[in-house]
Amino acid sequence: MRATTRTAYGFLTPYLLIFAAFWVWPIIYSFYLSFLSTRVQPWTFNPTFNWGRLIIDPAFFNAFKNTMIILVIQVPVMIALATLLAVLLNSHLLKARGIMRFAFFAPVVVGEVAYAAVFRLMFQADFGVINKLLALVGVAPISWSSNPTAAMALIITAVTWRWVGYNAIIILSGLQSIPEDVYEAATLDKVSKTRQFFFITLPLLRPIILVCVVLSVIGTMQLFAEPFLITNRGGPGGATETLGLFLYRQGFTVLNFGYASAVAYTIAAIAIVISVINFWLGRDPK
Amino acid sequence: MRPTLGCASLALVLGMTGGALAQSGEITIWSWDVAASSLQSTIEGFNAQYPDVTVTVEDLGNQQVFDRTLAGCAAGGSGLPDIISIENGEAEIFWNQFPDCFANLRDLGYTEEMASGFPDFKRTELEVGDVAYGMPWDSGPVAMFYRRDFYENAGVDPESITTWGDFIEAGQAIAEANPGVVMGQADFNGDTEWFRMLANEQGCGYFTGEGDAIAVNQPGCVAALEAVKEMADAGILVAGNWDERIQAIRAETVASQLFGGWYEGTIRSNAPEQEGLWGVYEMPSVTEDGPRAANLGGSALSITNTSDNKEAAWAYVNYTLGTNEGQVTMLRVFGLVPSLLSALDDPYVEEGQPFWGDQAIWVDILGTLDRVVPSRGTPFFGDAQAIIQATQTQYINGGFESAQAALDDAASQIALVTGLPIAE
Repeated sequence: MRATTRTAYGFLTPYLLIFAAFWVWPIIYSFYLSFLSTRVQPWTFNPTFNWGRLIIDPAFFNAFKNTMIILVIQVPVMIALATLLAVLLNSHLLKARGIMRFAFFAPVVVGEVAYAAVFRLMFQADFGVINKLLALVGVAPISWSSNPTAAMALIITAVTWRWVGYNAIIILSGLQSIPEDVYEAATLDKVSKTRQFFFITLPLLRPIILVCVVLSVIGTMQLFAEPFLITNRGGPGGATETLGLFLYRQGFTVLNFGYASAVAYTIAAIAIVISVINFWLGRDPK
Repeated sequence: MRPTLGCASLALVLGMTGGALAQSGEITIWSWDVAASSLQSTIEGFNAQYPDVTVTVEDLGNQQVFDRTLAGCAAGGSGLPDIISIENGEAEIFWNQFPDCFANLRDLGYTEEMASGFPDFKRTELEVGDVAYGMPWDSGPVAMFYRRDFYENAGVDPESITTWGDFIEAGQAIAEANPGVVMGQADFNGDTEWFRMLANEQGCGYFTGEGDAIAVNQPGCVAALEAVKEMADAGILVAGNWDERIQAIRAETVASQLFGGWYEGTIRSNAPEQEGLWGVYEMPSVTEDGPRAANLGGSALSITNTSDNKEAAWAYVNYTLGTNEGQVTMLRVFGLVPSLLSALDDPYVEEGQPFWGDQAIWVDILGTLDRVVPSRGTPFFGDAQAIIQATQTQYINGGFESAQAALDDAASQIALVTGLPIAE
């Protein structure tokens, strides 16, 4: 080894030691754990115990299904809203643009626990402001926390509220990088504003929207705080339990570390598959 | 009332001898809600005997205590306080997974004679062979707490409510006579407490009494789940978690609450201005002349093995749980039902309670104790609980044809997850 390389590794050693102890070792150890039956002491080697359960566990598939529902409904709705919002925020007609942009970005700055508490209160069945407002237009009160569909709608609403502005700001930066003369040329050719949006703005925004989609998909795969805090640990009865919550429950509520490890590896595998699909969909068409 | 047990008073005497040893230092306790407040209430009496011990009670909330204790035990005991409050139903997972996390109370002076001052159904989950991991604290004989005025407005006599069918009829009449008032609330979002209370009343539980088989699809549980759905469908039982139920009590929008006896203190301390408006009656049954007693919750205190001051911690635990003085203080101030049998003979139990319209509620509530069928939590309670919650939600929302089908499905899922057989 050359002296300079040695020096470099010397400087890196403190970090590498921490990396080995807190990243590499747990990753290897949890793989080993996934082959152990950890239901009762002492733990025993039994490769089919956790993996065999995983492929037939209805609770795991429920969590997978819930995560996919959020992925398929929430992400597209949020990205569409964010794009619309970005176009509006970019409009020359808008006054006080700086304040407006900050206002829509602000939810990200709010702590998860704080906003979850406010959402719980707003969507409280008996005294919550949302049901009171619905009552004004004649809608019967909705049990946001005990009806499975309503609870899922609540989670999707909350996550969208929190992240739509953040995505809009990213898309806005993309919008501002589109040169004005493209639109001028289109206007001279008498192309309508709507057609300009669909045939100029959207195609040119494609890479930036893809970034937003990838970030949102990753966020959804890791979704934990909202169903934990707003719908009380994925309630009612697991109706909003995500893969992250399911993993947490196996690891830290029922203390089944072996099964939790198997679940963690499966989630990682799913995330890789989805990333590859994203990458494939987002590849350059040429 | 329960017959006195001679050994209970013996336990008391033995407990008092600990006072001869002067203890000092600081001890910390994790607990939740009124349980935490009641531990606070015994410090004064304890400090009269042990002036040099400083006791700090931290109210973390029920779920937080469980989560942080598991995390602490998994981390070899680091970060844990000296004493931890543990719910009986959830207790076995701790001894099962972390046999070294908690001190054996036998080594600290908790003798078999003292232990025999508590009922067996409180001890089974806390002792493994010769090791006692926890000392029984309170129990939760179920009672129906109700608003006298709301019932009177509808002309409903609580004495006439003997079945859940009667309860539904009464609920509809009460909702009609008191606009904006609902008959009862259940935590349909995050718990199954109504189902568990009704199932226990019917002699059924998630697991068999020995804890070695799954019993949740037995007839008693099926009848309980059916009754819960009927009440939900009739609109007399609506969703409300712990906090929402307290809000409803304060806002005077709920006519009854079904809970363990320990809920007495929660109502009384949260709505002191409603003195005289509340009363208590026995939970109705599924059938005419069916059983009308159940237990919900009830806890124990354990001492961690990492505690620096186990002797002082034991002195506090023994004063609070092992003496009539400690136990009756908690009953008086916060309505925690003593599981120490000798405490049940305290004159306070016989007194009419002003908040409860001078009803001698403790005579009524404690009178059900010896009819309670023991129910075992087992180390798999958390697994079963999640599955039953999901099943209950699906069943109430019409996802199963019958309660039997729902619980058969739940039983097979619990079998998959725990490896236990389904009881015949």
